[in-house]
Amino acid sequence: MNYLFIDTSSSNVIVAIIKDTKIVSCFNNKIDNDLSVKIFSIIETVFEDSGITPSDIDTIFVVNGPGSFTGVRIGVTIAKTYAWSLNLKVVPISSLELMATTNFDGDYIVPMIDARRNFVYGGVYDRDLKAKHPDRYIDIDELKSLVPTNSVYVSYDELNIEHLKPKIDLIKIIKQHSNDEGVNPHQLNPNYLKKTEAEENLNKDKI
Amino acid sequence: MLSKYILAIETSCDETSVSIIKNGYQEIATVVLSQMDIHADYGGVVPEIASRNHIQNITLVIEEVLTKANMTIEEIDAIAVTYGPGLIGSLLIGLMAAKTLSFIYCKPLVPVHHIAGHIYANNLVKPMEFPLIALVVSGGHTDLIYMKEDYNFKRIGGTLDDAVGEAYDKVARVMGLSYPGGPEIDNLAKIGEDTYSLPTPLDDDSYNFSFSGLKSAVINLIHNEEQRGNIINVPNLATSFQNRVINILTKKTMRALEEYQVKNLIVAGGVAANSGLRTKLTELCLEKHINLTIPSIKYCTDNAAMIGAAGYYAYKLDRIDNLDVNAKAVTELQ
Repeated sequence: MNYLFIDTSSSNVIVAIIKDTKIVSCFNNKIDNDLSVKIFSIIETVFEDSGITPSDIDTIFVVNGPGSFTGVRIGVTIAKTYAWSLNLKVVPISSLELMATTNFDGDYIVPMIDARRNFVYGGVYDRDLKAKHPDRYIDIDELKSLVPTNSVYVSYDELNIEHLKPKIDLIKIIKQHSNDEGVNPHQLNPNYLKKTEAEENLNKDKI
Repeated sequence: MLSKYILAIETSCDETSVSIIKNGYQEIATVVLSQMDIHADYGGVVPEIASRNHIQNITLVIEEVLTKANMTIEEIDAIAVTYGPGLIGSLLIGLMAAKTLSFIYCKPLVPVHHIAGHIYANNLVKPMEFPLIALVVSGGHTDLIYMKEDYNFKRIGGTLDDAVGEAYDKVARVMGLSYPGGPEIDNLAKIGEDTYSLPTPLDDDSYNFSFSGLKSAVINLIHNEEQRGNIINVPNLATSFQNRVINILTKKTMRALEEYQVKNLIVAGGVAANSGLRTKLTELCLEKHINLTIPSIKYCTDNAAMIGAAGYYAYKLDRIDNLDVNAKAVTELQ
């Protein structure tokens, strides 16, 4: 099976082609700006390096959030258009679960993304990537109170809490989800975990 | 001549639209999914909500247009897409979908300027004849453009502050009319009378426009009348406002036609749907023997058919980009 993996949910962009349980070609680097300009030359290079053509792909894995709204939409739009047009299976992956593939000592791993104003997107995962506490938008102190002892935090961001830098294990995440049913590409959408400010304000007005 | 089919995508604001256009003038199929009802609750387009809706709908709209046209992407010659100006998050959805299709099917990607699209909407009505003057009037633009041939745009004037559609929407909001306010004012202007004293917008030798003074005058007038406890005659105020706007738009447009010795006038953009403007220009052009084209109402608002029409000429002129073209919130027509 040929898998295409795309993560544009943060500035740590990953595009990879995996054949069964082997990474054939991979881009995993920081892209600080103009992702929309650079993403296709990254995808083209990854395909060229792999010797696989776009129509050889069987399944697309795409990180659909949480994370940068625009970043997530870039990857998800590519994945849903790609999967829809070639009638491929597409599997959404949580950015937090992906970070939880980082090797760690302990029972639980707590991936976090800075969401500003003392909030994070966070979750609590065990060593088998099972979510003890599912992904949520949460006050960082509240998250800490949920976290069991013998846990390790992980984040790309500078947060006021001791944490590891993520070291993504793509094979682990793909093994975890290769039997997922996938979603209809039309229904593949970002998982923002947060309403827009305009919607929140409108709801406040109604209350 | 071998027929060329353009698949066009337009997501610059709050409409998700995809179209297939043959040879730059024949509409095979178009789908427009408007988010207007969603944004009405907020009194205007909320960019993040627009982006979220575009991504939900983009593949559905592409699929629907192909089904309507009974075509496959393999049969398409090029993919045209609006790259700007517009809301950056919204533009990116259409652009990423277009790039993906271009990448997978090895089809040329043709980036189209949104205003070029509005201008070429006229080509869907009847073939454009050159040289021409284009009056572009919308929520984001008020421009006079001279074109001596296809895809040759020379801007001879434009708004210095508010776009005409923007002035309409802001004035409508203060008048308590529902969003979008432009059509509401236009409807009321038909039954009202020009009784309110309002200033004439910038009336000089240039081809520039300024509507912020007129807009402020209406807003001040409403506040003053309210403070005095007077009731505003809304239809009369609508007529008075609309007359000032249309008079200056038509005056400068007719002068441009004369000075550039051009016999063809086209009108483009959402405000081209304004019945007052259509009527006045029709009268003046008849009188001056000017060949006037105004798109039908469905081509005045944002749609992908116009992007497909413009995209065809861009494609013919080899204005093809590789996949690193960026979305631009603000960009000159060229």
